[in-house]
Amino acid sequence: MIDLDTLGNPPNWLAADTIERSRAALEGGLARETWKYSSLTKTLRMLIGAPGVSRAPLADVPEGVSVTRLSALATPPALTLDIERYPLAGITASLAAEGWLIDVKGSPDRPLVLDCETGINAPTILRVHRGCRVDIREPGARGGVRASVRVLQADAGSTVCWAQAELADDAEQWWLLKAQLKDNASLELHQHAAGARFRRLDTHVTLQGTGSNCLATGAGIVGPGEHLDRQQVVEHAGRNTFSRTKLHNLAGGRSRCSFNGRIHIHPGASGADADLSNKNLALDIEAEINTKPELEIYTDDVRCAHGATVGQIDPNALFYLQSRGLPEHRARRILCIGFLTECIRGPLADKVLNAFLARLDGAAPSAAAELPGGSAQS
Amino acid sequence: MRLLDIDDLHVRVDDKPILNGLSLSMNAGEVHAIMGPNGSGKSTLANVLAGHPGYEIIGGSIRFAGADLDGLAPEERAHAGVFMAFQHPVEIPGVTNMEFLKAANDSRLAARNLEPLSALEFMKKVRNLAQSLDLDSEFLKRGVNEGFSGGERKRNEILQLLLLEPKLAVLDETDSGLDIDALRTVADGVNRFHADGNGVLLITHYQRLLNHVVPDHVHVLADGRIVESGDGSLAHALEERGYAWLREDREDTPPARRSSGMRN
Repeated sequence: MIDLDTLGNPPNWLAADTIERSRAALEGGLARETWKYSSLTKTLRMLIGAPGVSRAPLADVPEGVSVTRLSALATPPALTLDIERYPLAGITASLAAEGWLIDVKGSPDRPLVLDCETGINAPTILRVHRGCRVDIREPGARGGVRASVRVLQADAGSTVCWAQAELADDAEQWWLLKAQLKDNASLELHQHAAGARFRRLDTHVTLQGTGSNCLATGAGIVGPGEHLDRQQVVEHAGRNTFSRTKLHNLAGGRSRCSFNGRIHIHPGASGADADLSNKNLALDIEAEINTKPELEIYTDDVRCAHGATVGQIDPNALFYLQSRGLPEHRARRILCIGFLTECIRGPLADKVLNAFLARLDGAAPSAAAELPGGSAQS
Repeated sequence: MRLLDIDDLHVRVDDKPILNGLSLSMNAGEVHAIMGPNGSGKSTLANVLAGHPGYEIIGGSIRFAGADLDGLAPEERAHAGVFMAFQHPVEIPGVTNMEFLKAANDSRLAARNLEPLSALEFMKKVRNLAQSLDLDSEFLKRGVNEGFSGGERKRNEILQLLLLEPKLAVLDETDSGLDIDALRTVADGVNRFHADGNGVLLITHYQRLLNHVVPDHVHVLADGRIVESGDGSLAHALEERGYAWLREDREDTPPARRSSGMRN
């Protein structure tokens, strides 16, 4: 394991024992299990060698929103990183030059566009106050080594739509998005990602409050030589909570595409309603797909379902399209895009669809004319 | 004008022979009905005509509009004018019916060196067709056959038939799963197609569709070959007596006579 002593003391807005706890967690069994398909050591080395970014992640600040350095706050809010599960969050926060608090006290008239620069981005707490509504977008298109930790604190009755699109293939990336929802808070989450040299994305949603809910969709496309590893946890802690998670991935060539999705129903979380689905399409015999849905249920009176599939293009569907006059390569393309389109939702859907089409076509420009998003939609 | 000539066709699937010397000829503008017991090879015939790669032709020939179909990919057969209405149309989630229809129609036109219709023209045409088949235009926005009832799927197949304007419709049990009204609607669509001088090869288990789409010839398929041919009265006889009597007749009749009615 890499020597963490060189990291120095954590900044004043971070708990003093962050590095020690991170070190202990890195050597524990949980980290080894959740990093089964991505190298934890390589990721750690990647992070430690990257420059820190101190700039605020939000350039355009609408009315009702404030952006503050954590170091400028007398009593900065706790980052609640869950270092025992996410030791890299502790390391990233220690490496970052700054941390930020984005406070949403109204309902902004335009989306908050978060920037994720090349380097170790400053950890960001996004606090959405009671009853507020906000649309957050992360059109992260940059390559290079990138790391970010975002913590969403959604107060009672707030509504958040968060869309992320990680499309650069020349990236080595790790991110963590942690979301904590109070009573009746709603989170709509759209996380789309292409494969890259290395891309590992962790998402952890905790439905703390009664009636809180989360709808999550995501599409992924992974090409030859690329790596995409997504880890998704949805914790149901409050009563009558609701979650839907649906992710589709498509892998071609000698690639690696991994997914681990866990639904955790806490004691006392009666009335929880959770569903997690992950479907994968392998286009080539060399494509490696790993998927593992998990359920942990510690209370009665819940409704939970989970499922995962790995398959190839359905030959009957292919024949059906060909029998209608579509050449095989176009029929395959339609089936691929249709599969992904089922999960390409949210404000960044057009951008993601175009990027995926370009990937499927090897950047052939005729792609968009004949398919979902094309002119035939009624 | 001769539209289809199938001569001594032998087909197998996974080394199992399914069609064993099937011969059939039909002219443009004719309606031929194929009937026969389960497992006799009816759906195999439909799939082979459409070019399903899972069926291996080990003997015989299929000529369509004077050209050999052997070796043509399914899309090439479609461009030549062969259309198969599926017994079980597949669901394709994520691709709307309208997008699928547009892609298929554009491909058909491109094969004839014709320009695609504008989006507006196309939508108008498809909506009119949908209306004529009692298909709500909402179905055009949904995934291809996704969540469609059996009857809606079959009507969607006929919509494609009328849109893509082939020369031959091979209808594989299109009447199965239809209620009386839907059966009539589907039959009306098939008759409109036929009225344009096109050929219809109608595979069915039951006489009821033939009350609406009147066949010129009825053939009985058994053990992978046509064992009896006749006019519409043959379908009525089958409805009343089943297939057993044909087997008994065959055992009493020399092969030369049995095959005489197959070709026309």
